[in-house]
Amino acid sequence: MTYVIGANCIDEIDRACVEVCPVDCIYVGGRKSYINENECIDCGACEVECPVDAIFVDRRARKDPELARFLEDSRAFFAEPLPGRAEPIGNPGGAQKLGDLGVDTPFVAAFEA
Amino acid sequence: MTTTPETLTADVLIVGAGPTGLYGAYYAGFRGLSTIVVDVLPQAGGQVMALYPEKEIRDVAALPSIRGRDFVANLVAQADTYAPTYLLGRQAVSLDHESDEPVVTLDDGTVVRARAVVLTAGIGTPTPRPLEVGAEWLGSGLSYFVIDPAVHADRDVVIVGGGDSALDWADALASIARSVTLVHRRKTFRGHAATLARVQESGTAIHTDTEVVALDGDLAAGVLEKVTLQARSGEQVVVAADHVIAALGFISDLGPLREWGVELSGRSVAVDRAGRTNLPRVYAAGDLTDYDGKVRLMSVGFGEVATAMNHVAVELDPELTLFPGHSTDDAA
Repeated sequence: MTYVIGANCIDEIDRACVEVCPVDCIYVGGRKSYINENECIDCGACEVECPVDAIFVDRRARKDPELARFLEDSRAFFAEPLPGRAEPIGNPGGAQKLGDLGVDTPFVAAFEA
Repeated sequence: MTTTPETLTADVLIVGAGPTGLYGAYYAGFRGLSTIVVDVLPQAGGQVMALYPEKEIRDVAALPSIRGRDFVANLVAQADTYAPTYLLGRQAVSLDHESDEPVVTLDDGTVVRARAVVLTAGIGTPTPRPLEVGAEWLGSGLSYFVIDPAVHADRDVVIVGGGDSALDWADALASIARSVTLVHRRKTFRGHAATLARVQESGTAIHTDTEVVALDGDLAAGVLEKVTLQARSGEQVVVAADHVIAALGFISDLGPLREWGVELSGRSVAVDRAGRTNLPRVYAAGDLTDYDGKVRLMSVGFGEVATAMNHVAVELDPELTLFPGHSTDDAA
């Protein structure tokens, strides 16, 4: 189980979620932030903080193809090499160590609202 | 200041005063075991109190809906049946064994000799999220907690953050500091509305949509003088600051426990079906633990800690039976 950041975050990146995440599992990309599902503890602290209502719980994605695309994309952000990197970032165990990654998945990089 | 480290003894030491640890304290008492509960946070209740004290909890048996804060109060009341000793605001930093019995040392030097230890540390130790700009001032002008408000008397204080801690500290220091400036990166505060209203009326300078971009002073002498704030518009303002208190939330990890020699499974502690870890007389229960098929819910943690405590009781006194009897029989 995990929370997922959806389309509303794109070009917004408020970071309110990053501040409240107790396990530091929200990674800042170029146009949006991404939650690592293997590190998320499903506490929901981020969901209520998001000023643009971008965050949803993965269970909602089962019924909504738009949300499902962002769940799948969040997995890809960690599991597949990002543009300009040879290796996937995997499960680093904390976003702070990495800093802003400044890069997105091809899906988000090309996303037009 | 030198004090002789205190040594405490108990049948069971519970590490972590969240829901699982509190129910464990009740259960240990029910099994006739004397109990000490230690937690690094200043209050009992773990994640429930730290993250969602006002939310309704609906997935615990026999409680159709209950506010987090009330849920924790009930757990404390239940545990208090057997009067456990609480050591709050203290961190368990090391675990050793002497003649097969665990010895745990706390960060204030207190030594706890327990006949068994039950780890119910959840997601681990919360550590403050650092202020990225000016982290080198930590300990000389910059701090992450208000431990003694009197330290800030007649000083210019800048508080950074938007949650309950930032508001509570602004509220507490308003009447004793020379000035209080509250800086929050966003427009709205997360903390309690009534506290915010008091802070707004107290004459505290409030800067929202604003970040701290520089701390300046004589770092070598440890004397902070001023802080530069930058609004989202790009406009900068410099304010006098003797002290900066950054309340930017917490990040949790296993912390010292990682070095205790307990077998880990990722960021969890591996246990068997009785809640035993690989170390003698060291058990674990709740969100901290991992095994095949694990589900991290409070309901599950309650069952795990009851199981673990019954096994602890028998390990400490093999004359006892694993099944505890019924609580309905107990007139205590």
